[in-house]
Formats: sequence, C-alpha cells, structure tokens
Amino acid sequence: MENKLLENLKINLHQLLILFKLSYRELRGSVKEFKIIIISIFLGVFIICAVGSVSENLKYEINNKSNILLGGDFELSATYQPFPVQIKNWLDNNGKTTHIIELRTMLSSKILKEQKQRLVELKAVDSYWPLIGSLSVIPKIPINKSMKKYDNIHGAFIDETLKKQLKINVGDILNLGQTKIQIRGIIIKEPDRLFSFATFGSRLLVTKEALKDSEIVVPGSLVKYKVKFIPTNKNLKLTFLKSLVQETNISIKTIKNSTNNFNKFIEKTSMFISFVGLISLLISGVGISNGVNGYLIKKIKNIAIFKTLGAKSSTVFQIYFLQIIFVFIISSIPAVLLGITIPFLLSSLISQNLITSFQPTVFINPIIMSLLFGMIVCLLFTIIPISRTYQIKPIQLIRMSSHHSLNNFSKKIKLLILVLILSLCLLILKLTGDLKTSFYIFVVIAFSFIILISSTNLLFILLKKINFKVGSTIELSRKSLIRPGSFSKSIVMSFSIGLSLLITLNIIEESLDYKITKTINQEAPNYFLIDIQPNQIDKVKKITSDIIDLKSLNSQPMLRGRITEIKGIKVDNLIVKKDVQWVLKSDRAFSWSNQIPPNVNLISGKWWPQDYDGPILISVGNKIAKGLNLKIGDVIKFNVLGRNFEAKIFNTREILWQNMGVNFVFILSKNNIERAPHTWIATLTNKNKKGINTILEKIVKDFANISYISVNESFQAIKSLLNLLIVIINSIAFLTLFSGIIVLLGILNVSKKDKLFEVAIFKILGASPKKVIFLWLQEYFIIGIMTSLISSVIGISVSYLLLKYVFEIEFYFNFLTISLLSLFVPVIIIIISFLKMFAIIYLKPLKIIRINNH
Amino acid sequence: MKNKINEKLIELKNIHVNIKNNVENIHILKGIDLTIYKNTSISITGESGAGKSTLAMTIAGLELISKGKLFFKNKPIHNLNENDLAIYRSKYIGIVFQSFNLLDSMTAMENVNLPMEISGSKIDSKRSINLLKSVGLGNRVKHYPHQLSGGEQQRVAIARALIASPEILIADEPTGNLDKRNSEEIMNLIFKLQQENGSSLIIVTHDQSIASRCNQNVFLDNGFII
Repeated sequence: MENKLLENLKINLHQLLILFKLSYRELRGSVKEFKIIIISIFLGVFIICAVGSVSENLKYEINNKSNILLGGDFELSATYQPFPVQIKNWLDNNGKTTHIIELRTMLSSKILKEQKQRLVELKAVDSYWPLIGSLSVIPKIPINKSMKKYDNIHGAFIDETLKKQLKINVGDILNLGQTKIQIRGIIIKEPDRLFSFATFGSRLLVTKEALKDSEIVVPGSLVKYKVKFIPTNKNLKLTFLKSLVQETNISIKTIKNSTNNFNKFIEKTSMFISFVGLISLLISGVGISNGVNGYLIKKIKNIAIFKTLGAKSSTVFQIYFLQIIFVFIISSIPAVLLGITIPFLLSSLISQNLITSFQPTVFINPIIMSLLFGMIVCLLFTIIPISRTYQIKPIQLIRMSSHHSLNNFSKKIKLLILVLILSLCLLILKLTGDLKTSFYIFVVIAFSFIILISSTNLLFILLKKINFKVGSTIELSRKSLIRPGSFSKSIVMSFSIGLSLLITLNIIEESLDYKITKTINQEAPNYFLIDIQPNQIDKVKKITSDIIDLKSLNSQPMLRGRITEIKGIKVDNLIVKKDVQWVLKSDRAFSWSNQIPPNVNLISGKWWPQDYDGPILISVGNKIAKGLNLKIGDVIKFNVLGRNFEAKIFNTREILWQNMGVNFVFILSKNNIERAPHTWIATLTNKNKKGINTILEKIVKDFANISYISVNESFQAIKSLLNLLIVIINSIAFLTLFSGIIVLLGILNVSKKDKLFEVAIFKILGASPKKVIFLWLQEYFIIGIMTSLISSVIGISVSYLLLKYVFEIEFYFNFLTISLLSLFVPVIIIIISFLKMFAIIYLKPLKIIRINNH
Repeated sequence: MKNKINEKLIELKNIHVNIKNNVENIHILKGIDLTIYKNTSISITGESGAGKSTLAMTIAGLELISKGKLFFKNKPIHNLNENDLAIYRSKYIGIVFQSFNLLDSMTAMENVNLPMEISGSKIDSKRSINLLKSVGLGNRVKHYPHQLSGGEQQRVAIARALIASPEILIADEPTGNLDKRNSEEIMNLIFKLQQENGSSLIIVTHDQSIASRCNQNVFLDNGFII
C-alpha cells in the first residue's frame, strides 16, 4: 500500500516536473511578449502592498507608543471645573501625576506697529509634565528651567505655525492676559500630541503659574483640566477609577481607547486607497486579459503542435497556466519588494509630521494580501483566454484560424471562475473587515462593470446599425472598429473606468468647492466670538451696535454637559446608530431660550411659551432625534458640572449645519439654568470688513478672555486639507488612467500585425500614407469619443447620486472642466496610437506582406 | 525484422469528412475505404484539394470523421474522444509536416524529446542523440530551429516523429519546402528509418517518383479513391 502511494507520488512529481520543463522551454524567448502584463500586475500589487505596509506600520507605531501619546496609563479630564480635592489627592497619593490645563485663547503680537492676533491652544503644565517621553524644542535647552518666571516674565514655547502666523521669534515678549510671556523655544515634538499640524489653533505651552498670572480663566471659561496618571499599583482597574469619579463630570481615557479613533482613521484611509489600488488592478486585468489573448494568438501553432504530438488539452492548458504563474511571480516579487520599502522611504516625512522616531518594519500581512489580490485578479482575467487552448485543434497546423468562440467553457473552467470571484469577495471582506462595506464595494464594482459593459455594447450595436456612404473613409473606419476580433471595445472599456473615476471625483470636488465658496460669500458669519462672560455680553452688544449695528451680532448662551441617560437607559448601555454616536461620546454644548430662535424650522411639536416656568423642556435636532430613536415626550438626563437634571423632549427641529452659524443639537427651556456658570457664543456677520475689524480689536483689548475664530480662515484650512486629499485621490485616479494606457499599449502590440496587413492592403489598393493616417485618426477619434461619452454618463450619474445621498450637497457641474477632462482621453488615445503605429505607415507594402508571411 | 504483410494495421470504412468554415460546409472525403498493412509503405497522390492531407490527418486522428469507421489494429478509433485520440497519437503515430512545425524556443534535442515528455515516458537521451546522428545532425543537438536550414529542420522533424517508435509514420508532403538535393536525401532517410523502425509509412506527395517507391499507391480525386 505504502509502496503504491510512493509510486503514485513519484509519477505525479515526474509529470509536474515535465510540465514545468515544457512550460519553461515554451516560454523561453517569449518573456518580452509579457511586458505589458508584467507592468499591469506590478502596478496593482505595488499599490496594495505599499498602502498596506504604510498603514500597518502606522498602526503598529501608534499602538506601541500609545502610552507616550496618552502621556500616562490613564488620562482623567474635566471641563469647566478643577478636580474635586479628594480625587486630586487620591491620584497624587497613589501614583505619579501631572496636572494640565488646556483652553483656547487669543495671543497678540505687536511687531513694528503691526498688531497680529491668533487663536491659540494654550496648554499650562506643571513641573512633572511630561510623565512619559520628552518635549523637544529648538534651541535645545532645559525645559523646566526655561519655562520659569524671571523678572516677572514667564517662559513659553510655541510651535512653528504660530511663529509664522504672528511673525514672532525666540526671545520676543508678548502679552498673555494680565501677564507677559517670553518665547524661549519652538516646539519640534510634543510627546502627548498625536498630530502636529494645527487644528483650530496653534500650540502655546506655558506653566500653570503663567496661566494664573494671566487671569484669563474666569468662572464659566471653557477650560479642560487634565490629570495624566501612572498608578503605583500596576493592576489598578479602569472600573475602580470609574467608581472613584462617579457622580462627577470627569471622564477617563485609557491607552486602549485613546488610539481607537486614530486606528479607525488609518484603517478607513488605507482601505479607501487599497480599494482604488484594487480598481487599478481590475483595470490592469483588462490589459492582462488582452495581453494573454494576443500572446496565445501567436502561440496557436505551438498549441497545435503540442496536440499533434499527443498532448491532451488539459496538459496544454497547464503549460500556459504555469507560464502565467511564472509571469505573475516575476512581476509581483519586485512590486512587493518596492511596496515594503515605501514606509522606509516615507519614514522621515512621517517622523516630522506624525509620529516622532518612526521606525518602519516589514509586515507580512500586506505582502500576503497584495499577492493574493494580484494572483486572484491575474487568474480571473487570464483563465478565460487560457481556456481557449481547449478550443484550438491540432488540425489548425494545416488550416489556420485565429477566431474561436469563447462562449463554450467547460464546467471546470466555470467552477474555477466562480471560485476566483468568491475568493475576491473574501479578500475584500478581509480588507474592509466589515460585511456591509464589502457587500457595497462588491456591488459597486459589479454594478460599474455591468453598466460599463452594457453601455459599451449598446454603443457598438448602434455603430453596427449606422451606415455611412459606401467607400467613404468614415465607413471604412466604422467597419474596422466593428470587425470580428477588433480590440476597440477593450480600449473603450479600460479607459472608461479611469475616466469615469476622474469625472466623478472632479464633480464632487467642484461641488464641495462651490458649496464652500458660496457659504463663505453668502451664508456663513465672518467671525465666531467665544468665551464671552455673562457680564460681558451686553458690552459686546454695545460695541457692535456702536460700530456697525446690533443685527450683525447673533449671540446665544452656552453650557457644556454630558448626556447620562436616555429614556431611563444609561448611555453606556445604549445601542445607537454610528452616525449619531458622537452626541453621546463626550461633552456637548447646549443653549437655552424661551423664544423660538430665528430661522428655525420645527419638524414636530411646537415651541414652549415665552413665560414657561415648568419642568425643563428640550428641543432636539430632528436627525439626531431619529438616530437616537427619540420622540416627543421622551426624557433625557444630563450632567452639568456634576449636577444631574432631566429634560422632556417638546419638539424637534431641522438643523442647517451648512450655514456655519451657531447651531445647537439641544436647546433647553430657560428655567433656572441661566444661573449656572456659563458663557456666551456669538457670530459677527457683516460685509463691512473695516467695521468688523474695529469691533474685534476693541473686544480683544477690553476683554482678554474673549477669543475669536475667523470662519474664512477655518474654511481655508479645511479647504487646503480637502485639496490635499483631493490631490492624493486624483493622483491615484490618474494611476487608473495609466492602467488604461497600458491596456492600450498592449492592444496596439497585439493588433500590430493586423494593422500592418491593413496598411499593406490599403496601399496596394492605392491609398496614400496621408489617407491611412486620416483613416486611423478617425478610428481612434471614434474610440475616444465613445470613451468620453460613456465615462461622462457614468461619472455624472455616480457623482450626482453620491452628492445627493451621501454628502447631501447640491450638485454642481462645470461643463467646461468636464468637457476638457473628457477630451483628454481621446487626445491621449490618438497620440499614443500614432506614436506606436506611425513607423509602419511608411513601410513598403511588399515588405509588410513578407513580414506577415514570415 | 520480418515483414508481416497480411497483418491489418489501419482500416477505413466508408469515411466521410466534412469541414465547416464561416461560409460553407465542404465535403472533402466522400466515402473512403482503405486498408493499410503493417510494415508497408503507402503513397497518397492526387490534385490539389483532392483531400490527400485530410485523409492522412484522418488516419492520424486529427480530423473529425463525419461518417464511417476507422480501426487501428481492429480497435475503433472513430468514436474516441479528444483525450483518447491524443493518447492514440502519442503511442502509435509519428507525423512529419511539409512546414516542419518545430517549436522555435526549443533546441533540436528538446524538439525530438517532446513526444516522450508529453506522453510522460522516460527520456532516453542516448536514443535521441543516436536518432539525430542517424538524420545527420549529431553536431546540431543544441541548435534552435532558426539556426538550422530548411532541410536540417525537416531532419529534426523526422527524428521527432520516430522517437516514440510509432507504428505509423505519416509524412505530409515532407519535401514540399525543400530543394531537389535535400528532397532526395530526406526521402531516402524516411524510407531507411521506416525500414529500420519497422513502421508503416503513409506519405502524401505530388511526386510520382516518390510514390513509385511505396508498396501501395492511392490516387485521390475530389474526395474519392480512384
């Protein structure tokens, strides 16, 4: 039994070895035929591997350094009020602590009579900060010593952005409220700050004494008190800490949950880019398929010889299948090698902008994923052309024919295609980690391909039906495009994928840009004023009415608190939709008013009477109410400054976030809330820029605690971030167009022989080179126009649906841009085709015939 | 080796072959009855388009028989599927074409060994070299087809056809692409090796002098044996 098994194994190995030998020998000298296929596979595998490697490295670094980024084992934070003394003492007595205060404030500089003001994110630290990691500054100086107060001037550090914004430098002295600070260094890296680019304000780092002397913190100021904590007892549980801070407004972050959002961000971004990589790989698939098709057409004679000499069809299939595997290996290995070096090439960029001392390493997961994706796509697109080997008859050695029906696949081939499609689905599932997203991705891919194939087919059917004047050049071009074996459909399809993607992205980009510009110009306020004290609001109103008019100022009181219970269920136990989870996650700002605010559109219920004085009522944004499954009469429990209170829902209203005004998800009835320490928030909206600037100058001068945010600058910051994202996405979309070019080059290679023959026949029949050029020009122009037409239809409809249902933004369409973009492809097709084919136009017809016969 | 003239090797009974192309259905062989005996040589002659090559390729199991029966050693061949026909060819048939049909990416030696490798048989390098020597190419074993002349390529094709010691050697106008001197040499070689190998030879030719060297002559006209 064992001997028989060994014998069988020996025979199988022997057969496999022979297959390898035959496959290798047959491939010898033909590798150059695969260059387009090699580039196509290389590109797709490289993108997926590079993106995967970068994201794995980032996630690893973040998770590895999460305690540095958190600044301790735990971070406890409270808004408005310092920690209760007993909690503060417990923390100090049971481990290492550092106490930090964070707030936003205005910082002004006066250099050469030019007054500049900036909103800064002020961080006041004690001498124990940082507990983990270290602050790096330029020049290299002892941190604690240089932050101390000398001659009544406190030391401060700022980041590079603030240095540029305020045009200040090390050594300059500035006013911070009632005290003076001197810039003693520029921050290179702050250990417990993940992103070093500015969000709303740049960093100003001072001591807690400096903050105290500045007197900018007044009751009700939006101040965050933080304690970074490393317990002596390493087994201290989060549940214990939670019970310690129960009934307070203190929230706790752990190493684990501090990096969750960043990890999710990395995962989503890398998933998106990998998805575009996959699209590029799928487009390359069209190129791979055409390439293999062309290769096998050249190999018909060899296949027939194999069969004549007694080779079974399955043996011949295996010979060419092994060649594809070989080609895949030689193209994917360099792709993977280059892919895994990308994190190393980007390490200095990442170190500077994201994670200090970023140390890249090689991860196996992206290598496996990219190879599997590449292999499956490669096989999926080659299996159909290779299965053609089954249909080639040995008798074709005598009677040559290059056209075969591709519809009769054996059951085995059909099964193999099904297995490959299922494997692709599983890989997409592994990439996204989410069944729903995978399903959407797969549906989008399948749907796009169906739309693409059907619209291309429809156009070609129309092309078949149209008849031009017999003998006219346009009729000759039309016939050339629809003749059996013509590759024009493949060119149209492969370019359409890339161009549709570009058009979709362009319309979305233009619509967003249009919306932002329109909002800035028409709807959005010029400035936000924050942290206005209740005793200051009337003075701010007076300044505004004195300089412009009171209508320009829209002010509302604001309090911060947290939702603790909804309909009697604790928030921790609630299961709500993803898109409204943010409402429950952290502190929320809310306002109160017994008057219905201007421009409010009530969706359900009505506003409470002006003189209402009963139990607290609440108005909720309708989408949030829907997401939290709330209806009129439901009760929400809040915790504000450690005090709990309940509010009953009285109405829901539409919130127009797009107008960039002051919008509150929750508006309460007045009751006694106004007695709680609170601040006011206001917007300034007026076209009189000079007047606005005078108001701001006066407010900053009179009230050190009030900060303002320029809406225009914030928009510009968002726009530049958006532009950066768009540049990245567009570059990848252009890569897909590049895949289209590779497909075209492959097709031109394959069809060169046909074209040669066509030229010879036309010339023998008396056509001049000029006429041949004109014919081709027409042919490629028709292909280009078809591509543009299909891509425009797909691009416009997809972007319309996305803008309407996903972004919920008005569809804006710039006809000129889309036309230029659409014409870009026909031009590329014509240029490339001519560059590639031009040489053969001037060949002598007899020479061509001889080449063809050879 | 003793000639067993009376032993039937191939028997064709009322063979019809139709070939379909995109335009029409062409009836090439119209009821062929033929018996070929072991160790004999048979020539198939006739005008162009008479069906000579089709008849030879039908015997090789390369043409689809539309009607009729084909037997090899009294076993039916006409009802075999593609895979079994492939085995039939690899075991019993050697073919030499007019246009050599060598694989360009393989050396002379590799081309000769190809049938053995395809059938999964053990490769006897000595035999391959001896065969190449016997066709006068002992010093060209590692040459690729493009490094050989037409006559030399045909010699490689003959060696390849004989490597598996086939019972039937089919030569389809083997000298059609060669000059007179080469043609004579190749034909002498084919007859010599056929004798040495003990194979039956089926030769498609226009040349009466070649036909006259065979034991049996078949003349085809418009799909019929006359």
